[in-house]
Amino acid sequence: MTLGVWLVFALAIFCLGLYCVLGRRNLIVILIGIELMLNAVSVNFMAVNYYLAPDPSVGQIVVLFIIGLAAAEAAIALSIILSVYRQRKSISIANLEELKG
Amino acid sequence: MSTESLALALLIAPLVGSFLALVFFRRKHVIASGIVVASGLVSVIASAMLLFGAGHDVGAITARWFSIGDTPIEFGILLDGRTMIMGAVVALITLCIEVYSLSYMKHDEGRGRFFAFLALFAWSMLSFVYSSSLLQAFIFWELVGLASFFLIGFWYEKPSAVAAAKKAFIMTRIGDVGLFIGLILLFMTTGTLDIPAINTLFAGDGLPEGIAPGRIELIAALLFIGVIGKSAQFPLHTWLPDAMEGPTPVSALLHSATMVAAGVFLVTRFHGLFMNAQQTMEWMLWIAVGTAILSSTMAMVAKDMKRVLAFSSISQLGFMLMGLAAGSLFAGYFHLITHAFFKALLFLCAGAFIHHVGSNDLIAMGRAGAAKQMKLTTVALVIGGSALAGIPFLAGFFSKEQIIGSLPIGAKIGALFAAFLTAYYTFRMIFLIVRPNADSMAVEDEPAHAQHEDGHEHHGPAEPLAMLAPIILLAVGAAGAGYIGNWIGHKLHIEHIEHPSITEMAPAIVIAILGVVFAWLEFGRKGARQTGFVSKIPSMQTLFERRWYLDEIYNVVFVRPVVWFASLCIGAENKGFDNGADAVAHGTYKGGRMVARSHSGRLQFYIGSAIVVVAALALTLGFRNGGGAG
Repeated sequence: MTLGVWLVFALAIFCLGLYCVLGRRNLIVILIGIELMLNAVSVNFMAVNYYLAPDPSVGQIVVLFIIGLAAAEAAIALSIILSVYRQRKSISIANLEELKG
Repeated sequence: MSTESLALALLIAPLVGSFLALVFFRRKHVIASGIVVASGLVSVIASAMLLFGAGHDVGAITARWFSIGDTPIEFGILLDGRTMIMGAVVALITLCIEVYSLSYMKHDEGRGRFFAFLALFAWSMLSFVYSSSLLQAFIFWELVGLASFFLIGFWYEKPSAVAAAKKAFIMTRIGDVGLFIGLILLFMTTGTLDIPAINTLFAGDGLPEGIAPGRIELIAALLFIGVIGKSAQFPLHTWLPDAMEGPTPVSALLHSATMVAAGVFLVTRFHGLFMNAQQTMEWMLWIAVGTAILSSTMAMVAKDMKRVLAFSSISQLGFMLMGLAAGSLFAGYFHLITHAFFKALLFLCAGAFIHHVGSNDLIAMGRAGAAKQMKLTTVALVIGGSALAGIPFLAGFFSKEQIIGSLPIGAKIGALFAAFLTAYYTFRMIFLIVRPNADSMAVEDEPAHAQHEDGHEHHGPAEPLAMLAPIILLAVGAAGAGYIGNWIGHKLHIEHIEHPSITEMAPAIVIAILGVVFAWLEFGRKGARQTGFVSKIPSMQTLFERRWYLDEIYNVVFVRPVVWFASLCIGAENKGFDNGADAVAHGTYKGGRMVARSHSGRLQFYIGSAIVVVAALALTLGFRNGGGAG
């Protein structure tokens, strides 16, 4: 296993997440896509940290931060989704275009 | 009553009258006109009591207005011979015209306003005459102009009246600029604007110490520019004939005792100063002679009765200035007073005819038989005309003799020529009215009853008492004012008045009679052609009728360039600035619409574009900073 393999793996997960975010209509699926992208970044950090960094703890700290932020973000996003659902009885992103110019 | 309270009453009455009439009784015509006539009466009585009761040279009654450093600027009432005589004449003639207007303006919708403005006019002129400082005089000088603007443009729904009012205001304003600069220079030079002080300063022979002759010439010339504008001398005379658009009583007031008299009065007021500016006086003399002849030629061909009188006013003002310029304060002042009487009389007669016949046209008036129906008015017209023409033993004769007697020889020939033309055109006017001839060659421009100036037909007595009484009073004045010359001279402190001897008087008498005879041959006798000798030379006739093309010349030289420049500015404004501002607004709006189209409202499109941009940035920055794996 080399650094390149890990990076390609992380890139693949990131792209999957990106596809989720850009391609799907369901807000919850989009949220899952975002989580995937965050995790891909975490994998990236860990890989680079493992192979290149002189002091391994730095990368780990960043990853812990990302996990914490992801949890908070998920909580906020889910509550937004809930309130959207209460108002519109739908969580499809196709209906959310009031800010159209 | 004390002198002070008399003087105050005299000046305040017309102001109060004007204010009450204008503010409270503008639509209650009877009350308004009553108040104004009453205020006029107060002025007349007070000014007469001052003139006859106060003795001469009471001095000035002043109150401090403000100070510049140590120099007080005072407002006050100056009571000396010059102001008291002029003030009494102004008050008397104003009253006559106010009474006359009671009948003349009877059917006008706006006569409350008319009377209010008449009183305002009287107030400004009286205050101007009695001013004790030049600054105060200047303020009232401008108010006189303002009041005349209101009155000339009284029938404001008539475009020609509005144009005439504007023209009068602007032309006199050109002169006023000169006067104002002169006033400032005078203050800088002498350090005072007090009229008695200035007169004392320049009373003796030679200049006061420390004042350069050039400076005095300049001041006098600038003051004279103001006089040119106000007293309608060449080249600023063109407003006066147009001012005939106002009601006839206004013309009478404007031409006799107020407006145009203000200019001449200013010269008499500062005669001592002017006498120290020989060069300017020389100019004044020749401008006055030129104006007198020029306007007489215009009067020779005019068919509108009021215009004939207007041109004659210009030429008579020229006579007054001639006398003053030649150094005779008495001659100019005397003519100012006598002229006030007979010119007011002539205008009131003209108004009576116009009122009755319904036309301004001399020939139409004659053919309508005005002279037969209005005998007393016709007699008054002949008296006034004879006084104007300088026929012996009427008012104009004495004062004109004084003027001609004071002139140097060159100017005297010009003045005699103007006097000849005056007699000719005056009697042309009289004969056209008194001896109408239906078979003559004369052509009516404007048939009777075609266009009455205030659009009413009148079926009343031809000579109502309210119109007849002022006419008779003024006719007595026009006949008799010449005999008070010595008394006026006494009041002016002129100890010795040189009465010209009979041989000196002869040329003027002969020339006046010659003018009358000439007019008789052409207009008066049976079977006369009634066209005048000028019509034999058509180009000259046109030249005179078109007033020497001066209006056209001014139009081309001054009015057109200004209008052109104004249209240029309006073009720049409309096409340049406005369109520029519009373009900025439109551009912003269009840009906004364009950008708005990209706001699709689709969340994923936003995220996609954001990622593409960030990726592109990351790639370019990454490659630039050493490229790749670092």
